[in-house]
Amino acid sequence: MDTTVSDTKSSIDRRALAAVFVRLGAFAALGIILLYFAIYARGFTSSFNLQNVVEQSVILTILAYGMTVVFIGTGTDVQKGGIDLAVAANAGLSGAVFVTLLNLGWPEPLAVLAAIFTGMAMGFLNGLAVVVFRMIPLLATLAVMNIASGLELTITENNVIGVSSEFLSTLQFGRFLGISALAWVLIVFTIFVAFLMHYSPFGVRLYAVGGFPEAARAAGLNVGRNIYFSYIFSGFCAGFTSILIVSRLSASTLGTGLLLLPVLAAALLGTVFSRRFVPTIGGTLIASLFVGFLANGFQLLGVSSYWVSGVQGALILLVVALTSFAKKSEGA
Amino acid sequence: MMEDVRHSIFSLDALSNYIVLFAFAAVMIIFSVTTANFLSLENIYNVIANKVVLLAIVSLGMTIVIAAGGIDLSVGVSVDMSALVFFSLLAAGFSAPLGVFAGLFAAFTVGAFNAFLINKLRIDAFLATLGVLFIGSSVQRLATNGGTPITLTTQEYAPVFQVISDSQLLGLPTPVWILALCSIAVFLLLHKMVFGRYVAALGAKPGVALYSGVRVPRELSKVFIYCAVLCGIAGILLSSQVKSYIPLSGDAFLLDAIGATFIGTAMTSDRRPTVVGTLMGVCLLAFMRNGLLLVGWNFFWQQVGIGVLIFVVLAFSFGLRKREE
Repeated sequence: MDTTVSDTKSSIDRRALAAVFVRLGAFAALGIILLYFAIYARGFTSSFNLQNVVEQSVILTILAYGMTVVFIGTGTDVQKGGIDLAVAANAGLSGAVFVTLLNLGWPEPLAVLAAIFTGMAMGFLNGLAVVVFRMIPLLATLAVMNIASGLELTITENNVIGVSSEFLSTLQFGRFLGISALAWVLIVFTIFVAFLMHYSPFGVRLYAVGGFPEAARAAGLNVGRNIYFSYIFSGFCAGFTSILIVSRLSASTLGTGLLLLPVLAAALLGTVFSRRFVPTIGGTLIASLFVGFLANGFQLLGVSSYWVSGVQGALILLVVALTSFAKKSEGA
Repeated sequence: MMEDVRHSIFSLDALSNYIVLFAFAAVMIIFSVTTANFLSLENIYNVIANKVVLLAIVSLGMTIVIAAGGIDLSVGVSVDMSALVFFSLLAAGFSAPLGVFAGLFAAFTVGAFNAFLINKLRIDAFLATLGVLFIGSSVQRLATNGGTPITLTTQEYAPVFQVISDSQLLGLPTPVWILALCSIAVFLLLHKMVFGRYVAALGAKPGVALYSGVRVPRELSKVFIYCAVLCGIAGILLSSQVKSYIPLSGDAFLLDAIGATFIGTAMTSDRRPTVVGTLMGVCLLAFMRNGLLLVGWNFFWQQVGIGVLIFVVLAFSFGLRKREE
C-alpha cells in the first residue's frame, strides 16, 4: 500500500535521512536487547553460552534460508507471492526417511543422499504445483505440507525412532579449531547460500524474477525455471536440516512441522535487517540468531517460559513497526 | 478477463470452475458406494454438526480477510481467547449471556489489536497476525498456568452448554442455525453491501482503492474485527461442545481455514473468495476426512489423502484455466 507521494526534493532528503535513522533503529534495538542481556543475564556472554545459542539456532536458520530463497524467487506478497509452508514438514519427512534407511542398514552416505533427495522431491512437487499448475503458493505448499507430514506419520507410525552412528555423533560432538561441528555447518552453509544469492549471476536472476516477474520475463529470463529452483532449493535445505535434527536428538522426532511458524518469523523478520527491506541471507541469519538469543536471554534471566513466545512476538512486532515507517518514507 | 464472458460452458476454462463441485460429487459417490454408513442421515448430520460448523465459521472470517487481500494467522487466538474469557466468567459465577458477550468482546479485542498493528504501525498483515499468534499463546499459557484446561462438567453449567450446542430448533441443531446466520451475514456483507465492494477493491489493488476514496484503514479494521468476532463465535461453540476450554486448541483451525477458503476461490472465474465457495471447501474437507475414516484409513493416511486431494483438485482447477496473456 504505497500511499505517500513525495512533493519536493527536500522532503525526499529528509525522508531518506529518516529512513537511514530508522534502519539503524532496527539494529539499535537489537543491540540494546543484546546489551541488556549481556549486563543482566548471568553467563549470557560466556563463549559456551554463545556457542550453545548458535548450535540451537542452526536448524531454524537453515530452514529459514530455504524460506528466504523462496521469498527471493517469488516475492513476499501476502497472498500471491511465494511462500513455502511445507519446509518444516519436509524436514520432518526427510528425517523420518533418513532414520528409517539407516536402521534398515543403508550406508550413511546413501541415507544422507536419500534424505536430501526426499526434501528436494517435495520441493519439486511445490514447484510443479506453482509453475505448471499455477496454483497459489500458499495453497500449493499447504497441500504438500499435508502430504509430507502425513507421510512422516505413516513412516514413523507416530513414534520416535532412535538411531546412532559414528557420523551422527561426530556431527553432534565433534569440534574443529575450538568450534563445534554444528557451528561449522552453519558457517559453511551460510557462506555457500550467501555467495549463491548475492554474488552469483544466478542470485541476481532470482531477485529479478521475484521482484518483478513480468519485467524478468520481458528481459528473457525463464521465470518458471527460477521458481522451480527456489522451491527445490528450499526442499534441499529441509533435507539437509533433517540430518542435523537427527544428529542433535539421535532420533527422528515428530513435531518438526511445528518449526514452521518460527521459520516464517525468522525469514520475514530478516527483511527488516537488510538495506532495501528485501529478503537477504544476512538478514535472515541476524533475525534467526536474534530469535535464538531472545529465548536464551529470557531463560538465563529466569523469566517463565510462558512469557517467552509473547515477548518474542511483541519484540518482533516492535522491530518491524520501527522499520515499516522507514519503508514507508522510502516509498518502497 | 473481459472477452471470455461469452465463452461456452464446455470450454476448459469454464470447466475449471466446476472442478471443486465435481470433486465433491466424486467424494460423495465414491464413499457412499464403498462404505455402508457414509450416506446415512445420521452420519451426514454428525459431520455437519460436529465438523463442518466450527471450521465453516472460522473460514467465513478468513474469507473476509483474504477477500481484502490480507491474511489472518491469529484466528486461533480469537477462538481461544473468546473461549477462555467465556469459561473464566462462567467459573467465576457470572451469568451465561454476560459470559458469551464478554467472550465475543475478547475476540473483538484481538481483531482490533490486529487492525491497530496493521493500520497504525503499518505492519504487514502476515507479520502482524503472526506476532499476535505468538503473543496469544503466551497469554493463554500465563492465564492457565502453562496450559491446564478449564473444565466445567458440574450440573450447574450443564443447561448453558445444552442450550448452546446440544439443543435443536425446527429439527436442526442450534450450531447449524448459527452457521446459517453467520453465512447469510457474511454473504450480505461481502456480496450485497458497499463494504463488500470496498473489500473487493482492497483485495484487487489497495493503492487504487485508496485513491478512489476508500477509507482504507477503517475498512481494514472492520475486516479484521469481523473475522475475529466470527472466530469468537466458533470459540464459544467449540468450548460449549467439549464443555471445557483447552488452551491453544484454536490453532488447529488455521491451516484448514486457509485451505478451505482458497479451495473456494477455485470456484469462481476470477479466483476470488466467496461465501459459497468457502462453504463448499469446508464441506469437501470435512466429508473427505469422514469418508476416509469410515473406509478405515488411519489418521496418518487420512492426512496424506487430504493433501493429495487438495493438490489434485486445485492442479486441475488452476491448470485448466486459460493462461492470462
